[in-house]
Amino acid sequence: MSHVELDPRFASPFPQAVLPVLRNPQLRKNVAHAIDVIQTKRGRLVTEKTDWQELRNSAAAIRSHVLENLGAYLEEFEYRCTAAGGQVHWAADADEARQLILELLRQEKASEVIKIKTMTSAEIQLNPFLQAAGLDVFETDLAEIILQLGDLEPSHIVVPALHVNRSQVREIFARRMGLKDLSDDPKELTNAARHYLRQKFLTIPTAISGANFLIAETGSVAVVESEGNGRMCLTLPRTLITLAGIEKVLPRFQDLEVMLQLLARSATGERMNPYTSLWTGVTAGDGPQRFHVVLLDNGRTSILSKPKQRQTLKCIRCAACMNACPVYRQTGGHAYGSVYPGPIGAILTPQLMQMHYAQSLPFASSLCGACYEACPVKINIPEVLLELRSQVVNQERKQTGRFLDPLYLGLRVANLLFAWALLFHAAQWAGRLGLRLFTRKDGWIHWLPSVGGKWTQTRDLRGLPAQSFHQWWAARAKETK
Amino acid sequence: MSTSALSRQFILDRICAAILPPAKDLAGAAVDYAALPREYIRRGSLSREEKLQLMIKRLREYDAEVIETTPQELPAAIAAQLKASGRSNFIAPAGLPVEWLADDFHWTIDHGLSTDEIEQTEGVVTAAFCGVADSGTIVLHHSAEEGRRVLTLLPDWHLCILRSSQVVQSFPEYIDRLPQPPRLVTYISGPSATADIEMTRIKGVHGPRFLVVILVRDED
Repeated sequence: MSHVELDPRFASPFPQAVLPVLRNPQLRKNVAHAIDVIQTKRGRLVTEKTDWQELRNSAAAIRSHVLENLGAYLEEFEYRCTAAGGQVHWAADADEARQLILELLRQEKASEVIKIKTMTSAEIQLNPFLQAAGLDVFETDLAEIILQLGDLEPSHIVVPALHVNRSQVREIFARRMGLKDLSDDPKELTNAARHYLRQKFLTIPTAISGANFLIAETGSVAVVESEGNGRMCLTLPRTLITLAGIEKVLPRFQDLEVMLQLLARSATGERMNPYTSLWTGVTAGDGPQRFHVVLLDNGRTSILSKPKQRQTLKCIRCAACMNACPVYRQTGGHAYGSVYPGPIGAILTPQLMQMHYAQSLPFASSLCGACYEACPVKINIPEVLLELRSQVVNQERKQTGRFLDPLYLGLRVANLLFAWALLFHAAQWAGRLGLRLFTRKDGWIHWLPSVGGKWTQTRDLRGLPAQSFHQWWAARAKETK
Repeated sequence: MSTSALSRQFILDRICAAILPPAKDLAGAAVDYAALPREYIRRGSLSREEKLQLMIKRLREYDAEVIETTPQELPAAIAAQLKASGRSNFIAPAGLPVEWLADDFHWTIDHGLSTDEIEQTEGVVTAAFCGVADSGTIVLHHSAEEGRRVLTLLPDWHLCILRSSQVVQSFPEYIDRLPQPPRLVTYISGPSATADIEMTRIKGVHGPRFLVVILVRDED
């Protein structure tokens, strides 16, 4: 498999990055299969929940409310968590977060660290940084082990290795765990991972986790998982470091009654994920006795400052949008050039990059709205996509040399024509006359010059009819009189 | 000032500048919070029996084993399950009722056992705080009879005693039963599982691979 770049600063634009995927039938089959399974289960469980829309309304309102009062809730979380024996740290960007975590690990004299799957740590590229600093980093989620041992990149935020099939997993495990007789039975592969990690869980005294929710009222942290690797990392080590985006906070413990009813159903099509853990600071005799939370900004406050785009931060990372997305289903996650793929990635990534990179992503959508419909916190992704598209277009327009670009020239002319009825009718007349040159006897246009060719390269265009709707309507009115 | 303290001020200032009109303090936010829409179902409509049947059905869908019994029969039911498990070396939280510790088995009581000592045992018996029927969830708040978190994590076999009076229909009903938010929580919905390889659900990854629930009819 060719190298996949998930750093938005270096990734190819979507239309180029997608080509290797489109030429890889195995990959597309793996992705489509996984998505079909999740979607079928999700559909059944969402239908069964008669108050689904009411839950969505409440979840959306709670998340919006949090963002509007983010400062107050973060300070409350910090106060409560600290009072319960936790230590809260703040990191303005990825570099600060990495340095902070490394510093904490050095204080622990750690040479090894176990990790629960956390997309936020992938966002700040924590693993390569810690490895370069000489630490051994062990991912413990089954999918993350597959990726780490296979030197592969995640393609989904909930099921990161959904693009890898069982025989590929077998090959990776057999090679990296030295198990020559391993079969490709998922049960046996899972068992191999259990044995591979057991000793690490029992002996490595330092763990890193992400957070699904931070509870302001209590200072508690919630982690949602399936395998129990999370519980291992949250319970057995002496020291736990949790990395969380500043937007992850919820006002009250009670809000879990909304979020947890939505999250697992949206994410994996389960009524509830097998394990959810909540802990509050440090508890004597139970779990890690040193607990740090690193609150990460890394571009989030900049998203917060733009009212139309702010809703991006409502996201609870369930991945329902990518599972519902017709584009993602065809392309998988790697084409998005970011650890956050799919519709949410298409809006989150360019914004986290302050619109300096990943500008092709807002265009990687058909604007069908399936993501909005699926989103449990009602993020209007198409609305944000359109907003970002207009920003990208404005960026492009300002670049020199683009003024006479046929596309922009055409759009400026169209802008003028659509503004004036007289000009519009004149253009229709001229267009009919002009296009007649290219219309074949069968009534179709098979070839057009210049930018028009971009259309006719891949599909035919119906010739303009002799009469416009407007003309037909006017004639009809005359007849009926 | 440390980098973290500087960044704290930087981030909070940026948040403050980002929100217009200016954000409220916590008391002001509480007023808005109280007005948030909550039209979802907070109270289930099932009868007591239907609720229990739903709990049992959900647990079985997760491949958990469910046995029903009465308070009088409970110690015998526990002993029968321990025997049926084929295991002999069990662990119990310090607050577990002594009459649940069946004879003929080797018991280790947790008064601050080490991880290695817990790892040596084959199974664990605990109580629970609550059961949520809608999702088949067992709620542990890690009280003295529910045990520290590690107790229900390392042993491969977990026998959980759930009283029928503890079963609620929906998650909001569980929230209503809380005198105050708990400090430590584990929600267990079936044994540890993964679907990471081709979305094939595999039971048993790192947590206990076997979950047995004894439902005690304490309301009859």
